[in-house]
Amino acid sequence: MPEKGMIKVTDGFERIVHWMLAGSCILLFITGLGMMYRELNFIGNLMGGLVALKYVHNFTGLLFIVSLVLAARMWWHEAGKFSMPEDLEWMMCAGGYLWHVEKVPEIGKYNPGQKMFFLTVIGCGALMGVTGLVMWFPVGLSLGFVRWMYPLHALGFVVFFAFFFVHLYLGTIGNPGTVMAMIDGWATKAWAKKQHPKWLKEMEESGKLEVYGEETKEAASH
Amino acid sequence: MTNHYIDFQWSDVILIMGSNPASNHPISFKWITKAMEKGSKLVCVDPRFTQSAAKAHLYAPLRSGTDIAFLGGMIKYIMDNKLFFKEYVKNYTNASFLVNPAFKLPGENRGVFSGLTGNKYDKATWSYQTDAAGVIKKDPTLQNPNCVFQLLKKHYSRYNMDVVSRITGTPKEKLLEVYKTYSSTTGPSRAGNILYAMGWTQHTVGVQNIRTMSIIQLLLGNVGIPGAGVQALRGESNVQGSTDHALLFHILPGYLGTPRSSLNTLKEYNEKRTPKTKEPKSLNWWKNFPKYSASFLRSMYGKNITLDGAYNLLPKLEEGTDYSWLTLFDHMYKGQFTGFLAWGMNPAASGASSNKVRQALGKVDWMVNVNLFDNETGSFWRGPGMDPAKIKTEVFMLPCASSVEKEGSISNSGRWMQWRYKAVNPPGQALPDGDIMSEIFFKVRDLYRKEGGPNAGAITRLTWNYGKFSADGKYHLDVHAIAKDINGYFLEDKELVDPATKQKKIFKKGTLVPSFALLQDDGSTSSGNWLYCASYTEKGNMAARRGKKDPTGLGLYPEWSWSWPLNRRIIYNGASVDPSGKPWNPRRAPIKWDDVEKKWKGDVPDGVGNPGSGRPPFIMKPDGVAHLFGPGLADGPFPEHYEPLECPVEKNLMSPQKSNPTIKHFEEKGVGTELDTIASCDPRYPFVCSTYRVSEHWQTGVLTRWLPWLAEMQPGMFVEISDELAKERGFKNGETVTVRSSRGELEAVAIVTPRFKPFNIDGNTIHQVGIPWHFGWVTTATRKYSPNDKKPEIFTFGDSANLLTPFAGDPNTMIPESKAFMVNVVKKGVK
Amino acid sequence: MSENIKLFDTSRCTGCRGCQLACKQWNNLPAKQTVNWGSYQNPPTLQSNTYLIMRFQEKADANSVKWFFRHEACMHCTDAACVKACPTGALYYSEFKTVGKNIEKCIGCKDCVAACPFEVPKYDSGANKVLKCDMCESRIANKLEPACVKACPTGALKWGEKETMLKIANERVKELGGDAHVYGPQYVGGTHLAYILQEKDAVYAGLKIDPKVPLSVIAWKDWLKPLSLIAGGGVVVGSLLHYILHGPKRPDADVGQDNPAEGGK
Repeated sequence: MPEKGMIKVTDGFERIVHWMLAGSCILLFITGLGMMYRELNFIGNLMGGLVALKYVHNFTGLLFIVSLVLAARMWWHEAGKFSMPEDLEWMMCAGGYLWHVEKVPEIGKYNPGQKMFFLTVIGCGALMGVTGLVMWFPVGLSLGFVRWMYPLHALGFVVFFAFFFVHLYLGTIGNPGTVMAMIDGWATKAWAKKQHPKWLKEMEESGKLEVYGEETKEAASH
Repeated sequence: MTNHYIDFQWSDVILIMGSNPASNHPISFKWITKAMEKGSKLVCVDPRFTQSAAKAHLYAPLRSGTDIAFLGGMIKYIMDNKLFFKEYVKNYTNASFLVNPAFKLPGENRGVFSGLTGNKYDKATWSYQTDAAGVIKKDPTLQNPNCVFQLLKKHYSRYNMDVVSRITGTPKEKLLEVYKTYSSTTGPSRAGNILYAMGWTQHTVGVQNIRTMSIIQLLLGNVGIPGAGVQALRGESNVQGSTDHALLFHILPGYLGTPRSSLNTLKEYNEKRTPKTKEPKSLNWWKNFPKYSASFLRSMYGKNITLDGAYNLLPKLEEGTDYSWLTLFDHMYKGQFTGFLAWGMNPAASGASSNKVRQALGKVDWMVNVNLFDNETGSFWRGPGMDPAKIKTEVFMLPCASSVEKEGSISNSGRWMQWRYKAVNPPGQALPDGDIMSEIFFKVRDLYRKEGGPNAGAITRLTWNYGKFSADGKYHLDVHAIAKDINGYFLEDKELVDPATKQKKIFKKGTLVPSFALLQDDGSTSSGNWLYCASYTEKGNMAARRGKKDPTGLGLYPEWSWSWPLNRRIIYNGASVDPSGKPWNPRRAPIKWDDVEKKWKGDVPDGVGNPGSGRPPFIMKPDGVAHLFGPGLADGPFPEHYEPLECPVEKNLMSPQKSNPTIKHFEEKGVGTELDTIASCDPRYPFVCSTYRVSEHWQTGVLTRWLPWLAEMQPGMFVEISDELAKERGFKNGETVTVRSSRGELEAVAIVTPRFKPFNIDGNTIHQVGIPWHFGWVTTATRKYSPNDKKPEIFTFGDSANLLTPFAGDPNTMIPESKAFMVNVVKKGVK
Repeated sequence: MSENIKLFDTSRCTGCRGCQLACKQWNNLPAKQTVNWGSYQNPPTLQSNTYLIMRFQEKADANSVKWFFRHEACMHCTDAACVKACPTGALYYSEFKTVGKNIEKCIGCKDCVAACPFEVPKYDSGANKVLKCDMCESRIANKLEPACVKACPTGALKWGEKETMLKIANERVKELGGDAHVYGPQYVGGTHLAYILQEKDAVYAGLKIDPKVPLSVIAWKDWLKPLSLIAGGGVVVGSLLHYILHGPKRPDADVGQDNPAEGGK
């Protein structure tokens, strides 16, 4: 449960979309791996056979595509565009993740790392969706074209799989306090100050910041 | 077939003409391939580049219906280049016989032989010169201008390469190549073989097509030896058997001529049918005719009647009539029949000019359709263009067992009688044909017994002890009883010389006759078919044997099934040795004289006497030799080229006589009907058409169109047309077109192909097209199906090719001319 | 178990299609409605209900015409792209070195359809299975030749020990001369259906020239498949190292929850 003074960083819709995406992605990993490695064919047994597993994969893929579209529409404005020069500066010092940086440039709600992650998810997600659909319904397409869908799907998976762990790490123990942003939407102000100082400042100045236990300034001024 | 399928492997050259064995007799190609592996040359002559042509070393096209011109040119080539096998020709053919000087050849008699009045020949001049004792005069030097050899040479001297090429459309260099290749089989050490089928028989000159080739085979010494002979590839697995057992009207079983009403007594009949000869050394096997006719009468009417009495009961043919297919349906169309049994046949699709046949079926009161499936015949009354309300015919369908649902034998093209066993029971109410026939017989017999009728005894006194009635009153035919009856029994104890041991022996009453040599003319033996005597003896059912011994190494397999006559695998094998008894070709000798045992060994010897006896080996001919000059046929002792009744040319380049002068012209007033049209040289029907078969379907397709796998592979009617014609008419490959003759039309998918090429016929471009004949409206998707109708799993497209074929036939056999007629091909539906 | 192959000799084939029918019969494959499309060849291509077709092809020039009959079915590669692509082991190398199929295991994913360089496996949407010739495994396991070979009347199809068959093939090629050659043993590790072709490869419609396991399948199965594990594993290890060596990015201690106003300083 949030404590007094914590700030609202995500709304409910954002969290639902995030978890739709994350959930479908994880399920796709599991089912995909079940088909990719014969050693993992047993995963199919959990779903009533490999045929069922394939359908779970295919239909989860559809859910994934829907989630992806929602996510893209929702986050495009904040995470789809870089704002210069601070994003460049942030990248120059790798956001302070890799070596010690005295002062990480102040960035908005999403840091360039997150933006890059978002764009990769959108790009690779689109790739997975398109190649997956072609593999599912290869009707009327040239074999030479269909054939390349498979390695592209696998390539997308390589990227997705790697990024998944990056995201998992950075969203949890790598950045303590982050995970709750996607659970109940509340974070400590200290966390926000550390991770997204510019956004925090803008929010405070515009009076839009929602603090647990307080009315927003905007609301109070009425 | 003179030989048999396995024997093809010994041929040095194989000529495929009038057949397409690669497609229609696939198994035969096992042996053709084997021959080719041994270095034999394969030659294919066909209007269309067939699957067989695709495998041939040499292919030559010819226009449908010009085979005699093509082969006549080969005879001329053989004569001009002296390629005939002189010893063989001199000793084993009638080449040296002197012919009546009054005999005239077509070349000197406006295209016909001497003796023609109307459409019949008076054969008086087609005779030999004889000496005072009646022996035929001969010139062994073959120089006498009246000898057969010189007449043959003179007759075919008109068939020069130039004229042949203008008639057939075959390029001259191809003619020469074929002639050269094939005639290389002359002489003692080489064998040339001819494989023909319906491509030769279904013409108004059908019999003469085969005669022409027989002459070539005799000239080259290619009869009686392995890898040679004349091979009729039958159009149906048991056509050989059905012919042997007299499915045709003009013969009784064993090729005994059917008696005519003018032959009042058995004596007269025997007299008329038993050939006589004055040739001192000729065996004249047919002198035994009275033994075979007597044994046949015993098989029909048993022992409780005199042979003369039995002969009197035997139905006779009216003098001057024929009961051939064409005539029967012509009469049916004219309302001269009350009922009709369509038994295992589909005349509404298989009959030439099927529209006429379909109309004819509506003129009978009842029809019984015995078949495995509904077909165009049984359902003719609801077929295209029919109004069921106006058709009086009552149709009964009797479902019958298929060949795997009953036991019995078939006789293949190689004359092997092969026993088959029942694999499964027939479905539903289906019965074996024999059971159905028995049931009908007993009912009809009862009616005759009760009501009488003309010649009622023919039925009431008929022997029918081939089976048993079961408790439910059904008669179950025992095919072994039939097979034994066909073989024949001793009807009384008889002391005779056993041909096997040459010792006297008493043959017991009731035992099976071991050989037709023991059949008697006094009524003491029976045999339903003398040719099959020895097929089922006290030693057992010979047809069921499956022994694989091959003592000669020639693939004769004497213990595998049984081959008529007397288990002989190569007929005329007596001609495989020279007059002194030495094999022409010791490496491939079907028979060899064993000096120690003093007998012939190898195949069952045919006709040959002991070495040096001087007996000519063609013992089925009265004079003992093969006939280059064949006076027995209706249309001439030598084959002469005549155009098909429907043809694309104004004139026969060979003579002023355009078509066979002896055929029956149904299209003429007062002969046939208004449907029997002929459109020769008619610009409305500019293309030559031929019908043929595909591997996947059988006959009219009644058995195969219902089989999904076969229908899937060949789903319907097509017409094959050349690239050139398609371009001229704007047809695209795969488009549906209309093929039309003066008798009917059908829709077909165009297969545009380089396998047909336009012919250059005497300077004109003549197109030929081809259609398969297996289809029919009953299995199409577009017909109306009643709720009770079985629908095919896979529909086929199109109707029967015979809607287009002419109502005209060969004068000897009346086989319709479905291999050469005229059509038009137009875009679908265009008038 | 000796290694057998099926040898098809175009020069001996008469296009009777006994093999095509025997295949349907032994494998109990249903027929599907066809139409004549201007060819004897029907069905026009391999289908899920047709493991074998005879291809009919004409070649004509001014003076001559040729008609080719080619038996088309699974080539049974030694190095089979379909087996590589199959996620479930439904396609496998049999003890006879042919490519067998276990229908039970097939999930209808069509991966093999895209992978096969010969375009052999075909998807049956009704059954949701991919089907193809299994060289009549039920027959060869009982020392019988495949059904198609059994039906062939001319010896155009033979079944036998690989070395013997190739010897026969090479001898036949010598006999035939011209452009005759053997097709199959030189590709994909050696096919278990070998052709004796009378013409150059390019002459035959539908014949794959220089067939290989497609690069896409190699990229997919040999490169990317292991790479995914390496990449995923690498990240996990990297993150762990990062946590240990660099440490997580914690909020600064001086920023208390009680002093929001100071944020951003």
